[in-house]
Amino acid sequence: MIFLVTWLSTLFLIVIPYPAWMTLALPHFGFLFVTWWGLMRNYQLSMTLLLIASLPIDVLYGTTLGLHGLLFALIAYALTLLGPSVRQVNWIRQSLVVFVVLLIASAVSYWARTLTGQSPDLMILVLQSVVSALLWSPLRWFYDVVADYAEGLRAQRQ
Amino acid sequence: MRPLFSDTSVASVRLVVAVTFSVATIFIDSRFDALTLVRQTIKTVLWPLEQAAYVPGRVSSELIDWAHSYDLITERLEVIALENERLRTEQLKLQTLRAENAELRRLLGVKERVNERLLQAQIERLSNDPFVHRVTINRGLLAGVTEGRPVISADGLVGQVVVAYPHAADVLLMTDATHNLPVQVTRTRERAIAVGVGRMDRIELRNLPDTVDIVPGDLLETSGLGERFQSGIPVAEVKEVIRAPGQPFARVIAAPLTPMARLSLVMVDLAEGES
Repeated sequence: MIFLVTWLSTLFLIVIPYPAWMTLALPHFGFLFVTWWGLMRNYQLSMTLLLIASLPIDVLYGTTLGLHGLLFALIAYALTLLGPSVRQVNWIRQSLVVFVVLLIASAVSYWARTLTGQSPDLMILVLQSVVSALLWSPLRWFYDVVADYAEGLRAQRQ
Repeated sequence: MRPLFSDTSVASVRLVVAVTFSVATIFIDSRFDALTLVRQTIKTVLWPLEQAAYVPGRVSSELIDWAHSYDLITERLEVIALENERLRTEQLKLQTLRAENAELRRLLGVKERVNERLLQAQIERLSNDPFVHRVTINRGLLAGVTEGRPVISADGLVGQVVVAYPHAADVLLMTDATHNLPVQVTRTRERAIAVGVGRMDRIELRNLPDTVDIVPGDLLETSGLGERFQSGIPVAEVKEVIRAPGQPFARVIAAPLTPMARLSLVMVDLAEGES
């Protein structure tokens, strides 16, 4: 239930039309979704579910199917290993860790996109990682609220 | 002593399986058309969510329009009246040219082109990925839009439909880095392949002989090769010709005639091509 609600919220954030000038400075909402699950709820995270959830994100971004699955798996794995220690530190340090992990994911994204015929700009990928890391704290709060709401709904049903 | 099957090793195995699955999917999707049905199904399921996501934007633009409605309508009417006058004059010229063209084609023994059947469509969203130049239009399989249809605007070529869904279609813009387009220079009939470079304001012609007769200001149009686009659709204007000393090939940089970043209305060519 929590996964479904947070995933649908992420899809909604991806689909909302943004002005063309914002495209370069948009955070990667998909990455932040996996970051939240990898850091905050890794004990509930299923890799299979993550792969299935990544396919609609590929469709919405228009990227090759499987690209976000690959990146999500790497981010989730890295953050699951780092999770316990990163959860303890303050938001600035958390954002720095998120930045480094997303930067590595961006490098893999650059490699995979180049192999599939796109011509990505590494600087834009770095910029996306910076913006995503800066927005990690508010997005974490957003996902916490959404998860609490979903848990409330589940409790009401029971 | 470290256990053989610790949590970390289980996670590593899962990672290896996930990476293998993802790389296989990337390979299949980028090399074959085997996953189009998966894409269509996912997009169809997500259609209500997409429609819901457009609501805030639509409501705000409606509110803004409502606030300026009278002034806006008067202003727009004046512009439309002027445009209408201009188009009526152009249409008169076009009728004469069509008759002349038909006569010339008859004399040359070239068959008449099939009439264009254009379907108007609105752009619903641009991909939020900065490296993917795709837009979603609000017409799909139910309106007769199928894969491969050319998409044009009032200024020239926009791109082509790559995936058609029941209520929508994905259009790959000609500026996308994976798009190749057979073109010819209107002035000299020199043929080339225009490739997108991932920038909305630029396409390039590569591997042209250094002695090629192209100058800035030349217009590029579709050549009709490849049997996907009719010939003669305006594409771009040449901005720069780079002839590096010692290099056998020239590089031509052109700007698309259609302002890709500001597109809102397009037309899908539903004609079956030239007869």
